[in-house]
Amino acid sequence: MRTPLSGETGRHELVLMAFLAAELLLFSFTGRRFATAENGFEILRVSVEFGLLALVMTPVILTGGIDLSAGSLLGLCAIVLGKLWRDAGLDPGWASALALAAGAAGGLLNGVLIARLKLPPLIVTLGSFSLFRGLAEAITQGVDNFTGFPDSFLLLGQGYILGAIPAQVPIFLAVAAGLWLLVHRTPFGRSLRALGYSPEGARFAGLPVGRNLILVYVLSGAGAGLAAIIYVAHLGQAKADAGTGYELLAITAVVLGGASIFGGKGSVHGTLLGLAALAVLKNGIALSDRPSEWVGMATGALLLAVLSGEAMLKKMSARVPRSPTRDSTSMPSGSP
Amino acid sequence: MRMLCAGVFLLWICGCSRESATSKKTAPSDGGSASGSMTLAMMPKSKGNAYFISCRKGAEEAAQELGVKLLWDGPTEPDPAKQNEVVETWITRGVDALAVAVENRGGLSTALRKAKARGIPIVTWDSDADPDSRLFLVNQATPQGIGQTLMDEAARILGSQGEFAIITASLTAANMNEWRREIEAHRQARYPGIKMAALRPCDDLKDKAFAEATAILNAHPQVKLLMAICSPAVPGASEAVKQSGRQDVKVVGLGLPNDNKRYVKEGITPAVILWNTADLGYLSVYAAIAAAKGSLKAGATRFQAGRLGELEVRGDQILLGKPFVFTRENIDQFDF
Repeated sequence: MRTPLSGETGRHELVLMAFLAAELLLFSFTGRRFATAENGFEILRVSVEFGLLALVMTPVILTGGIDLSAGSLLGLCAIVLGKLWRDAGLDPGWASALALAAGAAGGLLNGVLIARLKLPPLIVTLGSFSLFRGLAEAITQGVDNFTGFPDSFLLLGQGYILGAIPAQVPIFLAVAAGLWLLVHRTPFGRSLRALGYSPEGARFAGLPVGRNLILVYVLSGAGAGLAAIIYVAHLGQAKADAGTGYELLAITAVVLGGASIFGGKGSVHGTLLGLAALAVLKNGIALSDRPSEWVGMATGALLLAVLSGEAMLKKMSARVPRSPTRDSTSMPSGSP
Repeated sequence: MRMLCAGVFLLWICGCSRESATSKKTAPSDGGSASGSMTLAMMPKSKGNAYFISCRKGAEEAAQELGVKLLWDGPTEPDPAKQNEVVETWITRGVDALAVAVENRGGLSTALRKAKARGIPIVTWDSDADPDSRLFLVNQATPQGIGQTLMDEAARILGSQGEFAIITASLTAANMNEWRREIEAHRQARYPGIKMAALRPCDDLKDKAFAEATAILNAHPQVKLLMAICSPAVPGASEAVKQSGRQDVKVVGLGLPNDNKRYVKEGITPAVILWNTADLGYLSVYAAIAAAKGSLKAGATRFQAGRLGELEVRGDQILLGKPFVFTRENIDQFDF
């Protein structure tokens, strides 16, 4: 646990880094102005919203859960922000704080249903996926679009610090660092892995399983709220379709980062690597003047390639008799 | 592991220096200022929409004539967030001109302002952004052009005497009311023998237009022409006339060719009015490239656009000219 870059995780990240290196190499030849510091920041800037969702999705997936409602909750929080600002006349700062609270409340709903009523996360968040998006559409009747936010608020998503660093990037890095410490350096983080490996075991070990599960979903909801604030400041608008499909991108980044969808395995730095691989791919394709449809194809191909690459390495290392299997602790990995 | 990290990082740095070396050589031009190697980035509201596909044909034609590289990209479905992302990538990539059909003003205008600040000339087409964020709007049709063409077609069908009725979307929609004023002004000036017998709203619904048209035919048997000025009303009114069996009543309207092909061929609807979408794409490319070359500047009053000849520039709008009339003879050439 002290050396996160070891064993199975290490191997996965090796494969992923090789792919990322290949992407960087390829696109610095095919893409115009791809390998520039400016573009590096641009990649970060446009990835912050779904990146935040991916970060907070990581602990959820560590517990063996999933949060399909993240993208919808982003949409709902964006509408809450817009509505409170425009129609209730609140200051954008207060409206943002309440949007964040709305996100946490949405997460709390998921968490309580999952932890207290023991409903499967997939089903609960499938329900709230529709519920949150539906609420956002109901509030706006599907047509209302909040725009015209004051410049001071838009700075959060459009401004640059020292003329180069996008304003939202430090927020993203702070969340990433905080979450890394939480997941990899605290008893709470360890309990999530234990929970993912074996909920019953964790319960018998005296861990506050229910409470921690709820916290994980509240965190995920608050992350969606924060992503919503940045989304609105970035685009200068809040509409009910905000964040559609972001949850799947976030889950892709987490899984690409080496997390097991069955829980117990995964890391925040893995997710960051997964995010980088996805974001660079998207940006590189665009800068190589390829139509955006290619991104979907390439994303899918990348995920499958990284997963099969890792599976093949695993097979190969299992064939070498002398190397002790370091993966003996891994979960039964639902392989076909 | 460390080695690989370092390797990836080194690669990035190498790319950066390579790129900055080459970009210094070509600086300050963004994509080569000679028109032969100019790059124009053009965005529809959605790539999947047949309307925009037909605009693209004209755009490709113009790009070929001018010898410029045309990048055509945008969301598959109307999506302001995606539009924003694509424009941001184009800003990073560096293009010589931008032509954008704006899905949502609030969402895109800020990104366009950023492009403008980088010195990229911008025209909007099909639908506008905030006027301060672009140089020109390529306006496909003025209210005057629409109103006059509708009334001229009505007079062509009715002769100089007779009564007609208008089916509109709603009695409050600003654009519809403007068209109605133009229709009325043109009628008074040119066709005093023709009378408007009724004006009914259809709420932009085809069923409602069908019901209203049937009601008009019953209440005003002397009405010989239905003029439908919102696109769902044209097929709605045509179907009503068809089912009534009245051979002496015709329909004209503002609508899409595919919706109305059947009725145009059956002779119920002799004329459907819109603009030539290929010409719209063609003109947008010409305007954007002329702006990039500096031959089209703010304050111009005329603009020479290839095969379209000399067109009027009114303020900051380039006018495509009179609307296009789809008839039995030409409607098969259009598919949208």
